[in-house]
Amino acid sequence: MYSPEPRFNSRHFTAVIMPAKELNKQCMECKDAEFELTVRKRQLCRFRFIAHKVHSRMSVYRAFGLDGPKTQLLLPVSFGVSSSVLLHILNADRQHRLDNGRPLGYDFKILVIEPSTVVATGIPFDQNYEALEKNFPMHTISRIPFHSIFDHVPEMEEIMQEYAGSKFIDDSTRSNEERLSAFRASISTPTSRTDVDTVLLTRLVVEFAKKSGCESVIWGDSDSRLAAKALAGVAKGRGASLTWQVSDGMSPWGVRFEYPLRDLYKAELLQYESVCAELSDIVIPDQPPSDNILTKNLSIDELMLRYVQNQGAKYPGVMANVARTANKLNPSTSDNAPTCALCAGLVGNVKGNSGVTVANQVEDNHSSQFCYGCMRSRPEELC
Amino acid sequence: MAPTACFDCKEARAVIIRPKNRHKLCRACFIKVFETEVHETIIGTNLFFPGERVAIGASGGKDSTVLAAVLKTLNERYNYGLDLCLLSIDEGIRGYRDDSLETVKRNAVQYEMPLDILGYSELYGWTMDQVVEQVGKKGNCTYCGVFRRQALDRGAARLGIKHVVTGHNADDVAETVMMNLLRGDLPRLSRGTSIVTSSDASDIKRSKPLKYAYEKEIVLYAHHRQLDYFTTECIYSPEAFRGSARTLIKDLEKIRPSSILDIVKSGEDMAALVPVEVRGAGKATQAGAEEESAGGCGSQNGRTSGGEMAAMEKQLTENDAAESLETEIKLPSGARVKPNRGPTGKAVKTQTIKHCERCNYISSQRICKACMLLDGLNRNRPKTAIEVGVGMEDEESSSTLMRQMERAQLSAT
Repeated sequence: MYSPEPRFNSRHFTAVIMPAKELNKQCMECKDAEFELTVRKRQLCRFRFIAHKVHSRMSVYRAFGLDGPKTQLLLPVSFGVSSSVLLHILNADRQHRLDNGRPLGYDFKILVIEPSTVVATGIPFDQNYEALEKNFPMHTISRIPFHSIFDHVPEMEEIMQEYAGSKFIDDSTRSNEERLSAFRASISTPTSRTDVDTVLLTRLVVEFAKKSGCESVIWGDSDSRLAAKALAGVAKGRGASLTWQVSDGMSPWGVRFEYPLRDLYKAELLQYESVCAELSDIVIPDQPPSDNILTKNLSIDELMLRYVQNQGAKYPGVMANVARTANKLNPSTSDNAPTCALCAGLVGNVKGNSGVTVANQVEDNHSSQFCYGCMRSRPEELC
Repeated sequence: MAPTACFDCKEARAVIIRPKNRHKLCRACFIKVFETEVHETIIGTNLFFPGERVAIGASGGKDSTVLAAVLKTLNERYNYGLDLCLLSIDEGIRGYRDDSLETVKRNAVQYEMPLDILGYSELYGWTMDQVVEQVGKKGNCTYCGVFRRQALDRGAARLGIKHVVTGHNADDVAETVMMNLLRGDLPRLSRGTSIVTSSDASDIKRSKPLKYAYEKEIVLYAHHRQLDYFTTECIYSPEAFRGSARTLIKDLEKIRPSSILDIVKSGEDMAALVPVEVRGAGKATQAGAEEESAGGCGSQNGRTSGGEMAAMEKQLTENDAAESLETEIKLPSGARVKPNRGPTGKAVKTQTIKHCERCNYISSQRICKACMLLDGLNRNRPKTAIEVGVGMEDEESSSTLMRQMERAQLSAT
């Protein structure tokens, strides 16, 4: 399991900690725990260190719009560790500022896409949802099922039909839930299924954000998760989309994507969660990865997640650097280029790329509508 | 079980499952489709012009042998009008290169192409065997890569040829993309995937016509056309490896065979997204030389070792520590500053192309990298001559070497 030595424990901080001379060893912010490290001359406990990392990422929004209307953000919560910790940090920051009469430049809404409609694990999550409402009563929480994508994106049934071709016949007399599962079932490989699920979930979150007047979506992806996403994206031919799927940036739908946890390892978030009583009833613990599965039966996303976990145990910095590298890419400047009907990625090549890989795909009307990555995950694709 | 008919011609019996897309093909259709794809790559990227003289960098291995065979076939079939020849570099590695050079010599006869062999000893006064004796197995691939880059250019220049083609395949390119992403090397990410790697620094153009061809298909093609090639990898390669990227790509291929090509596509797109100011950095001969060292000899040469990964980890940890001690100076405007300062914000050093003072080879530095490495080697030469004792490391490496050679002999028989 991925458990690198958390950075704030490592020896490089010992140089700046001088407990012998300190009479008061309190954390300067929470005045509760003992401080363990010094960040910019402020002595903080671990808890505050993690929050500090997030605040510095959110600093643009914190200060933004102080005079005018607040920026509205959308925080999707999956009941996983990362998004729950992000919620806790942002909520605590908001509360702290309110208590001190300092305004905050943003406000955020919470979106829950019912986990049971995404993955059929059979684990009830109603109690977790109730705990969420109970612990964060000051926020608007919306709960929608995955299949509400047909309501939020009216053209979705047409897109799906076009995308899946003869492998999927939509029956509009059936319920949305049944229609979505029929579409998902038409995709044969785990890689393609996970890929298309991610595309659809992102689309649903974006449409919900737009409808609720949110300018940005703040995703709870940790550093480790972003590294895995970057590697998987590259392996699935979606390299051009990393500029918004992994980097902070404008998504093709005109809603910004932000990843405030990008400086934190999953292990650090787990540590934060473990000392956070409010989160214990909310978080659904990760299922440990199964050892009894052949590599060829994994999805690419799963393979990369495992790769980052394994390598991250030994080289956490190298893995973290993957997401940082992806974050340095410039967004594509092809303004009028055709975009994919499904994922809104670029159809064809990025401007300046003269490669001929695209020519390798079957030339038909599909390839003009869908991007390279989506074409690979189509139900009719053999591999 | 009834024999399956070929996916393409629907007549002959399918004997090959294409690694790229799992289509079941007959022998003739596979050979045709493989050649057609290389042809499409050549046409799609305007790789050659009629009458162009092209040197094929030939090592005797599968990639360069297939490249020579395919180019000869396509040149005749589609009237490219190319003047093809073989160019081999003799690194001076006994038990590896002398055997593979014999293969190249036979290829020259088989394909009726002129062959030119250029030796490291002739060019640099050092064979790789001597270099390894001096520096040990660790890091010797750096020498080989830098030397080879120059050697190919010099060989081409000697023949008056301005275009050298190499046998890099899709697996090599995909590996390089993953490697550069893991290494966080944006300049190389911007260059590694392009089919032509000519630089302003050199008037010799390099290209990889097999860039979209799978390694497995190259082996199948060589097998079904019964090409004469040499199978052993460089005996000095095992220490250096691109372990992580290579394993990852093999796993990915198991999951989704198209992923090698998909990584190449992602790499091409990302290359175009690398900020211009970062892209230009190091676009000179030396950078090219380093690039070629990665997989340049068709074996596992120049690939990042675990040690390099650990070294990078250490460096990153130190950077992190330094960052926490920094005092941030904020811009007065509300401009958004990325906390992760990439090379984007830094002033970019422009490189001026000069000639090496020693050998007159084009270089961005006063002395080219090959001459710098030679300096180091020559300085230490007398020292090794009087060393008699064999250290632990030498002992270990020589026994590994012996095992490697035994294996080489076994597989050759």
